[in-house]
Amino acid sequence: MSGPRNDAPDDVDLGRVWISVAGQVWRRQPGWLERTAGRLLRSPGLARALLTTPSLLLPWLLASVAVLAAGAAATLSSGQPLVALLAPAVAAAAIAYSYGPGIDPAWDLSCSMAISDRMVLLVRALAVFAVNTVLGLAASAVAAAVGLPAGSASGAAAVVTFGWLIPMTAVCAFALAVATMARSASVGAAAGVTAWLIIVLSGRVASGNFAAPVTDTVLFLPYLAVGAGCVVVALYATRIPRGTFS
Amino acid sequence: MNVEITDLTRRFGRNLAVAGVSLQTGPGVFGLLGPNGAGKTTLLRMMATVIPPSSGRLRLLGRDPGGYGPRREVRRRLGYLPQNLGYYPGFTVAEFVEYFALLKEMPTARVPAAVANAVERVDLGGRARAKLRTLSGGMLRRVGIAQAIVNEPELLLLDEPTAGLDPEQRVQFRALLRDLGQRATVVVSTHLVEDVGAACSQVALMDQGKIVFHGTPAELTARGTEHGTGDAPLERGYTAVLAAARS
Repeated sequence: MSGPRNDAPDDVDLGRVWISVAGQVWRRQPGWLERTAGRLLRSPGLARALLTTPSLLLPWLLASVAVLAAGAAATLSSGQPLVALLAPAVAAAAIAYSYGPGIDPAWDLSCSMAISDRMVLLVRALAVFAVNTVLGLAASAVAAAVGLPAGSASGAAAVVTFGWLIPMTAVCAFALAVATMARSASVGAAAGVTAWLIIVLSGRVASGNFAAPVTDTVLFLPYLAVGAGCVVVALYATRIPRGTFS
Repeated sequence: MNVEITDLTRRFGRNLAVAGVSLQTGPGVFGLLGPNGAGKTTLLRMMATVIPPSSGRLRLLGRDPGGYGPRREVRRRLGYLPQNLGYYPGFTVAEFVEYFALLKEMPTARVPAAVANAVERVDLGGRARAKLRTLSGGMLRRVGIAQAIVNEPELLLLDEPTAGLDPEQRVQFRALLRDLGQRATVVVSTHLVEDVGAACSQVALMDQGKIVFHGTPAELTARGTEHGTGDAPLERGYTAVLAAARS
């Protein structure tokens, strides 16, 4: 262990110069996506955590693809929206607690950071679902444009997108917003699950149909609006107070 | 006092890992000694705000880490080296240290120089751009120390920091500890008594979840003049105190 090399004349602090140069040479240059995420999240650390550590990001993406495929298959084959009804609540709860010592190699260390590991978790979850929603919407738009018959791959994507991916995104965004405001990911996950249960039960009472929350197209726009609003709330709650670390 | 602990306990099911520990410490290097399973790591993890205590009172840097806001403030000023440091194998040394500097919410403009300084202080400047998967165990330990000191913490918690370091590196590390202890509270958990003797101004000895000795290394050494066993004076004090606590 040593300090920086400093064999310079008295009037030149070579060690300081070296540290400055080395810092710039060694630093990881953030790409445009990370810079954008940093600005949106108002936290370079959260953006770095969102877009790096591929050992965490890849399982999430794979899990999303798997759930997406299973949901599409179940919906198309059985005609029952069971997966659609369960998916938002299951996803919100499972992802909230899928992050831990067996998943993240530096979990113990992450738990001692100012940007909490659970906040990183929820932001990642929201990002994955948001990406999937965008992909599903794109597939739906393509399907509508080319007029493919129902039951095709793009048609399945549309069913999945409008059936439960949008509600799932809204539930996850809601869980994130509650977590940031209540300052507890556990409270956020519980709120997300509870909110979805209330929506499903309300649909049953109002229309006599459990599946209404995932089949009634009138609800899709409110879902997206609630999701967007919750993102704004989360961004506000996670802002870095000025002047607290100078 | 940067660390104020009053009657702190931590249970894991039926196992009482930390049983009513009380201690206070300010700036300086504080050694936490004890045999395996004594509760040192659990106590350090509570101090690092990784796990909450089951009961008792814990104040760090004048704040109660039980609340979100104070805990976040403490964490910004905290450095922590876990006993088992996991790492992302695809990261370089500098990227790893930078990543945790950002997670500690350091001002972005200060991060590059802070990272370079921390990496140089652990003598890894020549490997700053090496992938972590290519490093030896001792080098990885030094990477862990670098991320712990990158934010110039006011409270530095190091769990077995010299594990895997060769003798020369351990000597250098003790010098670093003494330097860090001039400004910050440094708590070093170890079972190597020579580390404590060389670097610490205060020492506590834990056994079965309790602190059975608290004093200076010289006072611990004095306990071993008659009954202790071991090759070094401090070792004799260590064994004498443990034997007395268990009798």
